[in-house]
This record gives sequence, structure tokens and C-alpha cells, in this order.
Amino acid sequence: MYILHNALANVWRHKGRNALLGAIILVVIAASVIALMISSTATSIIDDYKERFSAEVTFVPDMEKVREEAMAGSTDGMVRMTMPTIDADQYLAFGESEHLADADFTAATGVVPEDLTPVAADLGGGSGMMTMGGGGGSTFESEPMSFTASLQGDKFTEFDDGSRALADGELPDADGEALVSTELAELNDLAVGDTIHLDGELRNVDEGSLEPIEYEVTVVGTYDDLTDEYGTSPQQNAFTNRRNEILTTYDTVLENYVSGMQGMQVAATFYLQDPDLLEAFTQEVRAEGLPDVFDVTTDSATYNAIVGPVEGLKSVSVTFMIVVLVFGGVIIALLSSIAIRERKYEIGVLRAMGMKKSAVGVGLWSEILAVTAACLLLGLGVGSLVAQPVTDMLLADQIQAAEEATAAAEEQGSGGGMGMRMGPMGGANQADPDAEPLSALAVALTPGTVGQIGGVALGLATLAGLVSLGRITRYEPIKILSERN
Amino acid sequence: MTSTLTLDRVTYRYDGAKKDVLRGISAAFEPGKVYTVVGKSGSGKSTLLSLIAGLDVAGGGQILHDGEDLRTLDRDAYRARRIGVIFQGFNLLTTATAVQNIVLSMNISGSRVKHKKEHAYELLARVGIDRETAGRPVLKLSGGEQQRVGIARALSHDPRIIIADEPTGNLDQATEDEILRILTGLAHDEGRCVIVVTHSRRVTAVADEVLGITAGRLGTVKGARGPRKPAVSTTHQDRG
Ligand SMILES: Nc1ncnc2c1ncn2[C@@H]1O[C@H](COP(=O)(O)OP(=O)(O)OP(=O)(O)O)[C@@H](O)[C@H]1O
Ligand SMILES: [Mg+2]
Repeated sequence: MYILHNALANVWRHKGRNALLGAIILVVIAASVIALMISSTATSIIDDYKERFSAEVTFVPDMEKVREEAMAGSTDGMVRMTMPTIDADQYLAFGESEHLADADFTAATGVVPEDLTPVAADLGGGSGMMTMGGGGGSTFESEPMSFTASLQGDKFTEFDDGSRALADGELPDADGEALVSTELAELNDLAVGDTIHLDGELRNVDEGSLEPIEYEVTVVGTYDDLTDEYGTSPQQNAFTNRRNEILTTYDTVLENYVSGMQGMQVAATFYLQDPDLLEAFTQEVRAEGLPDVFDVTTDSATYNAIVGPVEGLKSVSVTFMIVVLVFGGVIIALLSSIAIRERKYEIGVLRAMGMKKSAVGVGLWSEILAVTAACLLLGLGVGSLVAQPVTDMLLADQIQAAEEATAAAEEQGSGGGMGMRMGPMGGANQADPDAEPLSALAVALTPGTVGQIGGVALGLATLAGLVSLGRITRYEPIKILSERN
Repeated sequence: MTSTLTLDRVTYRYDGAKKDVLRGISAAFEPGKVYTVVGKSGSGKSTLLSLIAGLDVAGGGQILHDGEDLRTLDRDAYRARRIGVIFQGFNLLTTATAVQNIVLSMNISGSRVKHKKEHAYELLARVGIDRETAGRPVLKLSGGEQQRVGIARALSHDPRIIIADEPTGNLDQATEDEILRILTGLAHDEGRCVIVVTHSRRVTAVADEVLGITAGRLGTVKGARGPRKPAVSTTHQDRG
């Protein structure tokens, strides 16, 4: 108890020296406060981002490879390019991966609604297949069906972004329920409760076989559609017209799925737990049989645009803190070493009075702790005041760097791209335009950060204390006192 | 008679020195007596005291306190509780006040005194330091005042042995007499063993035994056993 009391008295007795040591500790602590505040806020933002946006995985067909394969597979000089598809079975298997945070399945198939006039009927229908090269003769046993509408399973994202809105009724909930566009409804006097019959077709390109399929869905609502009528589709016909999209559940579409047959596009949006898991996930899906023509990519553009600056900021602040800690630590060690040498006589006196080495050490350590504690309070105050302006400044730099990097990447990317998208089911692999890059970061002092700062402070005090202790053990009172006398 | 402190052929040599400062010192110190140690400057008086104080250990021979070898004793506890040392160079905490020095010493010794600060003021008053002076940092005290604070500190933990290195060196005659009265009182009235290194005849005059160091050896100059017949002359030439 008296050791502590004496230590506190000593803080004042050696105020000059302690002020110097305190100033250094204060700088280190304040710097650590800023760095840790930034890094913990950045971490929580990154985690939050990963949680909310996840990292969307896309399987993009590499058109070069598709063409190469089609040419290699050609036996009669004709090159038929078929958009590669991924089996629903495979998609379901991919969805089992433990690297995924989430998986959203959608399905679509071309149909011909019985007794209904599609929107843009004058443009005719589409087969949903692409033919390239000379000829164009079909290898199917009979002419493939020309679709005039599409049945879409679980494709409701447009309702989230506002480009589609419910006009009447409700969204399909149970299997067999469907939503039609107001245009299609008006054209055909469709109302909630009406039943629509749809004819479709599954195809096996290799065998040239065709297999008719049928759906019967009940209209449960209509939707207003503000989307581009033909979206990104290069072909314009009733099939690709988005007003002819009949929205239902995924399971409804899949009810007619036959393994090994094409004509039904099953897609899944997979969300990785972490964009870094892409490599592992790719290996997994390749093992499950994902054809080589598909590239597995993640939405790293969006991720980098949003999280990049924050991650940059975090690493800058952590690096900064490490540098400050190392330099500060060295200075503190030197200072306390010098301080102890200067206070050698005092230590000699205490030892001569019978104070144990350990007690002297505890006393000196308490002194440093007291100084550090004062610096901790001051440092927390100063640090949290300065943290926001410092953050704004650093973040501005990072955003600029990220923008430059993105611009450079886009220039490179647009050159070789095929820009080819298929029908209504085209997927996009661009930076999500809704994903706003972070332009502001509100740093906050969390209890966790305060704890970490406390740890830093304790570490500094211990460092100084250990240096002091190391010196004390080399001092024998008689030597100190006789040197003095 | 039981000796509280026994020195048996004690030798000592400073690190790096070519010769022993102490070359086989034997002596027995009893409670209730005042001893003085005399000798030329540099003869090793302070060295001897630092060994007795447990600040250092003898190179050869033994120092026994109540039969226990200082070499193996917990010398920190020994210094804190059993022996009071008045240093030649005072060795006070200069940035602390006089009274803080005394209280700290009491604390280190684990003193059971209830009102330590009051007790410290009393001790200081006993050596002629008033409350105002006692509240000043030692740095702002005169040499004589510091000397007295050093004495008060040596008494603060009520030790059975008190050793003093030139305790009256910085004092005027009146104060010297006062200090001597205190030291002799500690021995004769309270039964403590008091060992004083001094050049002062006034101090040797009140001693029960006067020991002289010459050439690293100790001899009785004046003792209870006989008349003033020096066994070893204090003026003896050092042949080393
Ligand atoms: N730390 C030391 N290292 C080496 N030699 C020392 C040391 N301290 C003292 N000495 C030497 O040891 C001898 C005895 O010193 P000591 O201080 O014991 O003498 P003293 O009798 O107390 O003298 P004084 O009357 O001047 O105080 C001296 O020759 C001194 O130079
Ligand atoms: Mg001396």
C-alpha cells in the first residue's frame, strides 16, 4: 500500500521527467486511439458489407471457349453455337457448398401461352437458341417451338429495385400461382383468378429430340413494368419482350425439369461468405462438374469499389499504428532506461533502507502505470477528437486511389468483352450501380476499442516497467551509494 | 555477555582493487554499549559499517547477528528492521520531505505504529527538526539538518543496533552534544548497541569502547577491559 502511495508521490516529485515520458506515451496512445478507431470501424463496415451484400458469384460463359467447342464439335462444316447451360442438378449441388452465405435459385423457360396474344406479337417468337455460321438447318427431329412468352421462377428482384411494382393482387406464394404484366393482362382481359395454359418444350441438342411440356398457372396478380422492354437482349421479339414474362415460383417452373434436357434455364445466385473464398468455391464447383466454358467470377468490382477504400484506410491506419508503437516503444524504453539511471541514487537509498528489489520495481511500475493511466484518459480524449478529421482526410485519398484503379480496370475490361447476353435470362457481371462507394466513415470509440487501447497502454507501461526492472536488478545499493559518496 | 553482533576475521576487497581494505577484523558488539571506531581517512571505517549494515557481504570471515550469518540472512529485512544506519552522506530521498523520509522508512520496516506521521514529527523534534523544516524537501535542508533527519530515520523503526558514520560531522558543538546524548541514551537507557565511526574526540569521550582501524585490522583503543592502552596505535604507519 505504502509502495503505491510513495509511487504516486513520486509521480509529482519527478514531474519534469514524467511529463516527458507522459508526452511520448500520450502521442503513442492518441495515435493508437485514432488507428484503432479507424480500423475497428472499418472492420465493422467491411463485415457489415460482407454480411449484407455478400460476394455474389456469377458463372459467365466464356464465349471464346463456347465458339471453340462448337467448331471442334462440328462434323458437317456448320457451326452451331448453343448457349451453354448449367443443370439444375448441378446448381443444387453447388448450393450445398459450405463457402456460401446464401443461394438464390431462379428458373426460366420459354413458353407459348394458349389462347393469349402476347405483347409485340407482330415481331414473332424466338426459339431461345443461337445459330451461327452458314446454313441454319435444324438438326432436330421437327422444327423447334417458337416461344412467345417466358415463365420465370422466383425472379422478383425488379420488385426490390422498383422497376416493377404490383398493380393488382399479390405476389405468387404457392406453386402454380403466377403474375402477369398489366400489358399482357389488358391485351387478353386477364384478371386475378384466371387460369393460363402454357406450352413449352425441352430439347436435347445432341440427340435432336424435342419433348413438349405443359404448365397450368393461376393468375394471382398483375404487375406494372418499367423495365426496358427488351432489356439487354440483342433480339427483339415476343419471347424477349419483358412484358411477356409470367412470374411464378421456382418450383413451378422446375416441375417439368428433365435432367439432361435443355430449354430450361436454371440459375442460381450464390453469395460467398467472403470474396476471398472464390478460389476454394471454384475448385468445389469444378469438381461437381461445372463445364470449363464457365468462368467463375465474383462481384469484385462492386466489392472493391465499396470496401476497397475502407480496407485501404484500415491497413494504412494499422501500419501507422504499428510504426508509432515500435518507435514509441523504443523511445519509451530509452527514456525509462535513462530515467532509472538518473534515479539510481534514489533506488540505492530505498534499497539501503531495506526495500526489496521487487518492491522498488513495483513502485516504479506503479509510477509508470499512473502516468500511463493519465495519458490513457487524455489520449482517448485527444484521439477521439482528432480521429474523425484524420479519417476524412485518409479516406479521401483512398477513394481517389480506388477510383483511379477502377477506371483503369474498366478500360482494360471493355476491350476484349463479347458483350453477349442471352434473351431474358442474361446475367450481368458489372459493378452493381446501386452499390454506392463509401464516401464517409463515421468513426466511433467502441468499448472494444477502449479495451484494445487499454491493452496498448498496459503494454507500454509494462515495457517501461520491464526496462526499469532490468536496470534495478543490476544495481547493488552499496555500489550506488559509494559512487555517490 | 551475549554479543548482538560478532565479527570473525572479516576481510573485504573492492571489485578491481589490488589489496584488501579489511584484513581479518574480529570484534564483538554488545547491547547497551556505545562503540566508536576511529581511524585515518580511507582506513576502511565506512567499508566496515557497510558490511555490518548488510549493504554488502564480507569477502572472507563471518558477520553474525544473534548467531545468524549475514551472508545467508535476508539482508533487506535485516536493514529494514534490525539495524538503523546513519550514513556519512546522509542517503536521504532528496525530493521527498524530511517527514516523508521517516514515514517511508517506517513503512518499509513494517512498523506497527498507528500514527506514523505524528511519530515521525516526534522523532524529528527529538533531533531538533521543527515541523516546518520537517515538511520541506530534504534538498532544501542544510547539511546539519539533513544529518539530523538521517539520525531520526535510523531511529524510526526502533532497531536494536544503530550504526552511524560521522553522525556529528556537520553539527555545531551544542547539537553534537544533543546528538551524543541521544545516542548514549539509546545504548545506556534503552539497551541498544550503538556503533559510531567518528573523528570527534567528544564522541570517543562518551564511548564505552573505542576501536581503531589500522592497516585493515581492528584493535581496541579504549575499552572496559583495561586502561587506555592501545593494542594498535591509531597513528601506526600503514606499511601496506
Ligand atoms: N567503491 C569503491 N571502490 C574501490 N575502492 C573504494 C571504494 N569505496 C572506497 N574505496 C577505498 O577503500 C578504502 C576505504 O574506504 P572507506 O570509505 O571505508 O574509508 P573511511 O575510513 O570511511 O574514510 P573516511 O574517513 O574518509 O570516510 C579507501 O582507500 C577508498 O579509496
Ligand atoms: Mg567514511
